[in-house]
Amino acid sequence: MSADILSFIIFLPAIVAIGLMITTRDVNTIRNIAFLTTTVILALVLKLYLEFEPSSGMQFVTNVAWIETYGINYYIGLDGISLTILMMIAILIPTSYLLLWEGKTKGYWINMLLVQTGVTGTLLSLDVVLFYFFWEIMLLPVFLMIGQFGFGDKVFTTIKVTVYTMAGSLLMLVAILYLGVAYHSEFGVWSFAYDKLMQISILDYNTKVWLFLGFLVAFAIKIPLFPLHTWIMETYKNAPTGAVFLLSSIMAKLGVYAVLRFMIPLFPEVYIEFSTWFVIIGLFGLVYFGIAALMQDDIKRMFAYSSASHLSFIAAGIFSLNSYGINGALYLIIAHAIATGALFLLVGLMQEQTGFKTIKDLGGIAKKAPIFTFVFAVMLFANVGLPGTNGFVSELLIIFGVFNFNIYLGVIAALSVIIGASYMLWMFQRAILQDRPEGSPELNMRDLKIKEIVGLVPWVVLVFIMGFYPEVFIDKFEPTVTHYLQDILQIGATR
Amino acid sequence: MSNFIYLIPTLLVLFGAIALLFMSMYEKISVKSHIFVSSLFLVIALVFALVNANTLYSIQPYDSFLNNVLTFDTFSNFFNILLILGTLLTILIGEHYLQHRSYFKGEFFSILLFALFGMMVLAQANELITAFIALEIASFSVYIMVGYNSDDSKRVEAIFKYLVLGAFIGAFFLLGLVLVFGTVASTNLADIYSYIQASNGSNLELLYVGLTLILFTFLFKIAAFPFQSWVLDIYRGAPMIITAYMASTFKIAIFSFFMRLILDYIAPIIDFWDTILQVVIILTLLFGTWLAITQDIVKRMLAASSIVHTGYLLLAFISLSYANNTILNIEAAYSIMFYLIAYLVSALGAFGLASHIISETNIKVTFDDFKGLAKQRPFLAAMMTIFMLSLAGIPGTIGFIGKVYVFTEALKAGYVALAIFAIFATIVSMYYYLRLIAVMYFYPPKEECISEDFNDSRVSTYAILFVAVLTVVGGIGSAVVFFIPALNIDTLINFAQLAVKSLFL
Repeated sequence: MSADILSFIIFLPAIVAIGLMITTRDVNTIRNIAFLTTTVILALVLKLYLEFEPSSGMQFVTNVAWIETYGINYYIGLDGISLTILMMIAILIPTSYLLLWEGKTKGYWINMLLVQTGVTGTLLSLDVVLFYFFWEIMLLPVFLMIGQFGFGDKVFTTIKVTVYTMAGSLLMLVAILYLGVAYHSEFGVWSFAYDKLMQISILDYNTKVWLFLGFLVAFAIKIPLFPLHTWIMETYKNAPTGAVFLLSSIMAKLGVYAVLRFMIPLFPEVYIEFSTWFVIIGLFGLVYFGIAALMQDDIKRMFAYSSASHLSFIAAGIFSLNSYGINGALYLIIAHAIATGALFLLVGLMQEQTGFKTIKDLGGIAKKAPIFTFVFAVMLFANVGLPGTNGFVSELLIIFGVFNFNIYLGVIAALSVIIGASYMLWMFQRAILQDRPEGSPELNMRDLKIKEIVGLVPWVVLVFIMGFYPEVFIDKFEPTVTHYLQDILQIGATR
Repeated sequence: MSNFIYLIPTLLVLFGAIALLFMSMYEKISVKSHIFVSSLFLVIALVFALVNANTLYSIQPYDSFLNNVLTFDTFSNFFNILLILGTLLTILIGEHYLQHRSYFKGEFFSILLFALFGMMVLAQANELITAFIALEIASFSVYIMVGYNSDDSKRVEAIFKYLVLGAFIGAFFLLGLVLVFGTVASTNLADIYSYIQASNGSNLELLYVGLTLILFTFLFKIAAFPFQSWVLDIYRGAPMIITAYMASTFKIAIFSFFMRLILDYIAPIIDFWDTILQVVIILTLLFGTWLAITQDIVKRMLAASSIVHTGYLLLAFISLSYANNTILNIEAAYSIMFYLIAYLVSALGAFGLASHIISETNIKVTFDDFKGLAKQRPFLAAMMTIFMLSLAGIPGTIGFIGKVYVFTEALKAGYVALAIFAIFATIVSMYYYLRLIAVMYFYPPKEECISEDFNDSRVSTYAILFVAVLTVVGGIGSAVVFFIPALNIDTLINFAQLAVKSLFL
């Protein structure tokens, strides 16, 4: 059982979803079944979390042949890094179910379940082709969700975002296949397992740079990094809250994870060579998206830019080549997923109640909905990185990391964090706290229901636990990161 | 007598065609009974073909009678299975359509089986005149089927274009044949091969010209670049179910003969066409993509996208790369075979489903007409989505595995730039395939397309479901997910490998 537990976690939502497709129950039942499924998964992941040994490498590995002729295996496993993100996904999804009120049709919940299969599959795959399989699969439910439940020019938006991201993925596919061919010509057998592909030594440096870029395009679009971010504004604005939550809180993080899991181990020397550039791009993205967020009036667009800004910061941490940076980036992945996930859900709730989409139409929320405002404030401060919250710990670690990498960039990183605080607090003041001007239309806003509060309590608690006792969590993935960095730097140095 | 078993499928089809011809003389026999009888013949033929599917053999039986013009081997058997299966599924999917159009009479099924007979002989031919006759039997049958119900002006246009162009390109084939005969003094492919081997590269000019002309026929029939423009009008004009038949089954039959020719017999001089083929691939992909994104009629879009798929297949062809008397990358041949299976399944599904939808009415033609299909007939919309995803090469479908296979071989053979170009064509193809899915799911139905009474529990629907299941199972395999080893992707690949190996016996 313990060997197959990962497969069970991956495929349970899909099986339930297929089962739900053929039932004719009403939406409430379907929603409850979906919720139950995700809590079962949460329980299983907690079990994994307790059984996991931080000091040893890949665990719970399943490796069976899928397409033998090409050495493509169903190869999944778990280490400290993926465990952390798996935990994050398992907590975020069920709680988000409690806050998503827009899901009024059966298809919505089926799609939510299918996405979960896609993202956990992507996270746990260790075979590159299998990874690609899930990486593409997880996009399709989002395509359907935006197209069916979105707003505005939703059909154009959904086709644009899908073709955009698939363009990146297909270029990555060429790189993947090229690596497989290189492995075949060196060793005479086919394999696409990432640890096997790491052994390739016949590729020259220039080819590796191209392959590196092939992978980078796919991940940079998903994250998104600076020049490839043009899809997010429209998407986050027109997409339903559920899809925005999935894209920003979970899938973007998988882009970062994939950089760590595949790109850096496969091309360590290229990574070391280019790291300065990527730290610079990351920091530039932090500032650029921050300034863009400052100027937005549409509240969802503002959060879209804010999310992109934080993810650029995460990327900067990852490329900074030391354990502070990478640990901080991993920690920020979780912190940001919690904070942004909650904020997107709360904003979705607010928009549905009030019907207003822009900051200048809102205001006076604090009086009508105090509990809502409290939770909103906690998440906002976590997002900004106030001491005592998880955001603070992670941002501090990343800044340390960048300082270690290069002192000037470190100064820039430390200073630019202030931009995040400014747009967030300004928005908070205008949209939530400030009283409404005389003669403006009536504001319809109820406070959180018990069910929603129950859903949000774990997130609030996590924000503070992670802020005050970071070692509880960092201990789980820190040994993996240390080993990982040693290996990478060693390989990079020897070549 | 022992050799006779290999002839049975072909003879059964021929016999079935003649039997149906006699049946059609009686007006009382309904279309339904014709469907039943033709399916029965095809199923029996399929069973006989499947008996030999997993054995490696290559024989030329009854040489006093057949004069070594036909080769029965695993390769031809592989194609026979695909062709019979394609025809059978065409009839079953079209069951609804064929009964709702009054112009389909009994003789239609006879013609369909004659077409299949021609294609099966083509797959077995190893002599140029036999190949030509088989090709013309198949082509003429298809011409007639394209022109069914000539009241429709589009249909008259289609049959005339097809007939004139087809006859024209047939003349090219004959001219090439004459030139080859003039050089080699034989039209048997084996003699051509030994001539090439003996010549050591000299005195081959006429042979080059002749074979180039013959390869023109190949490019025409599969709608590759300079000969692609007929596809749109003819696919548009033909009855929907015939379009499905042409796009899937007929295309595969063309590949069967030319794969045999190229792999087994003219491989030593194949380098000659290398540069030409590269240009053809690039332009095929370019034109196919450009045509596909500009279409508003679904049928034309599918037709144009079939040009793009031809481009991928040619990419696999060029990856064969020949040197030092051996084909360096024989795996590329397997990838062609696998891609053909993938394309047969997905194209047959997509075209067939479109024909099923328009059975009662005539109005599901443009993208707009497909609006709201998911709300009216969710089951069919889901099936259509599967076929579109497979054609686009999204993971989880057989089309993905086919693409991975083809691109891997192209990269292995060193055609990196071409592979990247083909990937860009795939990226654009996402747009026009996803567009149809978007139209089906994200819009309310158009007023005039709303009709209440669908009867979807009928043979056509189950046949479509079967094809959809094949598409998905072929894409994920059954060993990992369902723990049934027999239906795995490797099984299909092994069949393809066995078939190619039998060519070199």
